[in-house]
Amino acid sequence: MTSLAFALAYAGFLALALARPRHWAQFRTGRELGKGKAMILRLGGWALLAASLLPCLAVEAWGLGLVLWLGLLTAAALLLVFLLPYRPRLAGLLAGLLPPLGLLALVAG
Amino acid sequence: MKNGFRQSMAWLHTWSGLLAGWLLFAVFLTGTASYYRDEISLWMRPELQLAPVAPAGAAERGLARLRALSPLADEWLLDLPDSRQPILTVMARGDGKAAPRFLREYLDPASGLPIRARETYGGDFLYYFHFDLQTPNPWGRLVVGLAAMFMLVGIVSGVITHRRIFRDFFTFRSGRGQRSWLDAHNAMGVLALPYHLMITYSGLVTLMVLYMPWGIDAAYPEGRAAFNDALFGEPPPQQRSGRPADLAALEPLFAAAARHWQGDLPGRLIVTNPGDAEASILLRRGDEARLSYAAEVLVFQGASGRLLEAGAPAGAAEATRGVLYGLHLGRFADPLLRALFFLSGLAGSGMVATGLLLWVVKRRPDPGQGPAGFGHRLVERLNVGVLAGLPIAIAAHFWSNRLLPLELTPALGGRGEWEGGCFFLAWLAMLLHGFARPPAAGWREQLWLSAGLFALLPLLNALTTDRHLGNSLFRGDWALAGFDLVMLASGLLLALLARKAERIAAKRGANS
Repeated sequence: MTSLAFALAYAGFLALALARPRHWAQFRTGRELGKGKAMILRLGGWALLAASLLPCLAVEAWGLGLVLWLGLLTAAALLLVFLLPYRPRLAGLLAGLLPPLGLLALVAG
Repeated sequence: MKNGFRQSMAWLHTWSGLLAGWLLFAVFLTGTASYYRDEISLWMRPELQLAPVAPAGAAERGLARLRALSPLADEWLLDLPDSRQPILTVMARGDGKAAPRFLREYLDPASGLPIRARETYGGDFLYYFHFDLQTPNPWGRLVVGLAAMFMLVGIVSGVITHRRIFRDFFTFRSGRGQRSWLDAHNAMGVLALPYHLMITYSGLVTLMVLYMPWGIDAAYPEGRAAFNDALFGEPPPQQRSGRPADLAALEPLFAAAARHWQGDLPGRLIVTNPGDAEASILLRRGDEARLSYAAEVLVFQGASGRLLEAGAPAGAAEATRGVLYGLHLGRFADPLLRALFFLSGLAGSGMVATGLLLWVVKRRPDPGQGPAGFGHRLVERLNVGVLAGLPIAIAAHFWSNRLLPLELTPALGGRGEWEGGCFFLAWLAMLLHGFARPPAAGWREQLWLSAGLFALLPLLNALTTDRHLGNSLFRGDWALAGFDLVMLASGLLLALLARKAERIAAKRGANS
């Protein structure tokens, strides 16, 4: 459950980061970040962050669930921010890999 | 002041950070280590191999030991083992005449006899240092509290000053000198901001009775003891009747406690007037299964075991304080959440450290402009001795635990004191080294030394005891295995920092 929450938080932060031209450029796709794409990324990012709260609440009651959620948000954000300048490809790849892994852990556990 | 609001906040942020920074770094780093206080204690007592025991039986053995040591005490206290630490601690308080004024023993809960392990404070040394700097009450607590207030000012002023807090949320530009230090400082501050606010404010709340006593003193003019009794739910002391009586069996009391507390266990047991007909037994709920630290107590008649009172539920103020206190200690946290707290604590330590480093880098005079002023040189060298020196002191403390003789002659004093002495001596040596050496050399030498000390600690462990990493991994002993693994990881991290320091110095050397 918590790995799913972490994965969703990480993906959400990446989406929010990509919505900014500076970080979009770090991926060097050659393509431009249009206004529409930025809007979708921003909405999607916030939605993923909000969604990451749900597995936390499934595991713990409200008080502890919020504490756990904030801790996971911090960990996901720290990972992304310090990975992005050094390994942007890997940072992007993780956003794709982590959610399925999180779901797998959920199903297996 | 003619400056704008943001500029004033920037000035405030810089000054509060600079004045309190080194102390805050020490408090943050040792506090972060204290999340694993019990595990550190286990590592520092490698002789100890205690199996978990049923709690009521352990408590009965503790009472038997106390009966043998101090039958006429006014009060017996037992701290029961829990999932993090296996030792049964027993204490007795007496009048000094019929019974000793105070005694304490650490027992094996299975046998009820004192543990046989090297004398050490374990993780308690760093834990106490974290809030009292190992000084007599209340001086250290006052200084740390003052620093924590500076920290709150620093956090709030930092957030106000950080103009592009949302735009630069994900920004970290590496290899850009001052820019990179600022980005790192911002990242570690902002990304863990809820934690930093919580830990600083809750830290002040845990000692709020010390920092703001006047309301309590006004409400309880008869004295602080009355307030403490009301807060901790302890029954007012009754006189001994003089009629001897045995204590009731504990098993039914523990069962009653489990019914009241949804299956949770007692953490502390207090027997007042033991051995007398007017004895009472107080059970205080343990802190592992709940967030709030507010006391939950059950008081039983000592001789009969009848429930006298189930402490009233906490009022709003006490409940709020309980939650904040509980959040600060984090004892409710399972391994994952505790690791997340630890990570956030490291981020906080890094935030303070990068702030101090940024101050130096920003004010470094350009190559043609002559030498730096006294203040700049002082801060730069103090940074070395504190930021690189404190980890060395911590490592030296752990090394001393393995290297000091197991038995010290009484004339030399307590072995635990000597381990603490090694911490302070090592830190003093590093502070002096930081002043003696040019900063680039100082950073390089101290960072490599600390990397070596941490990375080699598991090896030292293997050479001096049989509780080494291979052994503890094989047996699933995660406290000791985790400690050794974290030491290795810390050594690796410090080695990376040492390499970074060398590269930065080389780049500066090439530019000047």
